[in-house]
Amino acid sequence: MTAHRTTPLRVLVLEDEPLILMELCFALEDHGADPVSANTVAKALSALEDSAPDAAILDVNLGRGTTCEPVAKALRARGIPFLIHSGDLVRQGELISRIDAEVIPKPADSADVVERALMLADRAPG
Amino acid sequence: MSETPDDRNAENTLQSDSRADRFRERHAGQTFSGPSGVLFGQAMAQTRMAICLADPAEPNMPIVFVNDAFADLTGYGRDEVTGRNCRFLQGPDTDPRTVAKIRSALDSKDVVAVEILNYRKDGSRFWNALHLGPIYDDTGRLVYYFGSQWDVSDVRAARADEQHARMMARELSHRIKNLFAVIGGVVTVTGRTHGIEREAIEINERIRALARAFETTLDDASQGSVDLRPAVAAVLGPYDPAQDRIRLTGAPVRVDPSLATTVGLALNELAADAAKRGALVSADGGVTLGWTVSAAGGLLVHWSESVGAGIEPPGDAGTGFGIIEALVGAIGGSVLQDRRAEGPCVKIAIPDAVARK
Repeated sequence: MTAHRTTPLRVLVLEDEPLILMELCFALEDHGADPVSANTVAKALSALEDSAPDAAILDVNLGRGTTCEPVAKALRARGIPFLIHSGDLVRQGELISRIDAEVIPKPADSADVVERALMLADRAPG
Repeated sequence: MSETPDDRNAENTLQSDSRADRFRERHAGQTFSGPSGVLFGQAMAQTRMAICLADPAEPNMPIVFVNDAFADLTGYGRDEVTGRNCRFLQGPDTDPRTVAKIRSALDSKDVVAVEILNYRKDGSRFWNALHLGPIYDDTGRLVYYFGSQWDVSDVRAARADEQHARMMARELSHRIKNLFAVIGGVVTVTGRTHGIEREAIEINERIRALARAFETTLDDASQGSVDLRPAVAAVLGPYDPAQDRIRLTGAPVRVDPSLATTVGLALNELAADAAKRGALVSADGGVTLGWTVSAAGGLLVHWSESVGAGIEPPGDAGTGFGIIEALVGAIGGSVLQDRRAEGPCVKIAIPDAVARK
């Protein structure tokens, strides 16, 4: 539950597919959270610099061979919890196990994805 | 060496080259005379396996015998190869590591089987599944090396094709999952725009069931048929996260991929209804799901709910029942329901459902 918080939880969403990005951001708003959207690694990293989110939802394949790994590392270094939301578990299996975070396979119910992310944010220290 | 009529075949097969003669003289006990010599000669002449024998007692281990298949495979005549070491089949792109492997097996008198790139007389290349092994006589003396070669270029090409097909299947699988996720986004965003969020959620539940039923069929769809059980289990998974409420009792059965999708979607409707007002409402309710195959290849799926204590089983068919009837009817099947006191029981019969391999 997030009701006891005075400020809404901020959740970074890294997703290159605009409709999925929009859906997740809507679901976050529906759950009283504050979405921070990014469709590239660079935007996600600069969003992290601006102000640290409470949790993040990361798509793995971000087009043109880029992956979310740099963002996952940056989040890990800052102790920010995150989950992986991907449809490419077979080919990216090695990368995903290297990142070592909770995985929700696509396609998933956006409410489920968001609730898991908020649970991670709530559990995180601080 | 005795000259009997029996020796003719062997004689025709073996080169009457001086080197071969010397070889036979030295190995009089093992030469190709008598009934076994006839068999050997005929087998060597008839087999499509290219065979050569080399003499390890000579420096450079020369070939002393090749059969017709060897000549056909390599394009070299018998007289062109007898007396030479068989490394003349190697060429510029032959992997030196493979050659080293053969070398070390020969040194240690081991059997070796490798795939090596070889060259025919005309310079064309082929992949050779080469087997080399030492042959000993009764006294345990190494008498020659036996080599069999088989052109596996087609097999290697097929393996490369298969690998490519697997890569394509993965790419397709990834794209399809993404596509389903995007469709979900479209439905949600559209639902919000028109103020019909509840309908959008219901549509998305069906779309995701379709995605789950479809997904498990992707991996072995190239075989033309899929196992029904994993497809069904994937569809029902979200309704039974602890996997203790829905018992699957069907034996493995391979069906057409589109049929697995249809059955999956029908079962999704039953499970959704059971979660809303049937066996999946109360903790002590449960479902038994089985299927049997008739002698004629028909599939009978049996969904049986037990709602558990304190739950009134639904007396009417759920809203999804029309969808089930339409789905099953479209492939020539039929649906029967029995509104029992302990919970609904639904039977789905689909004729001619089992994939023929």
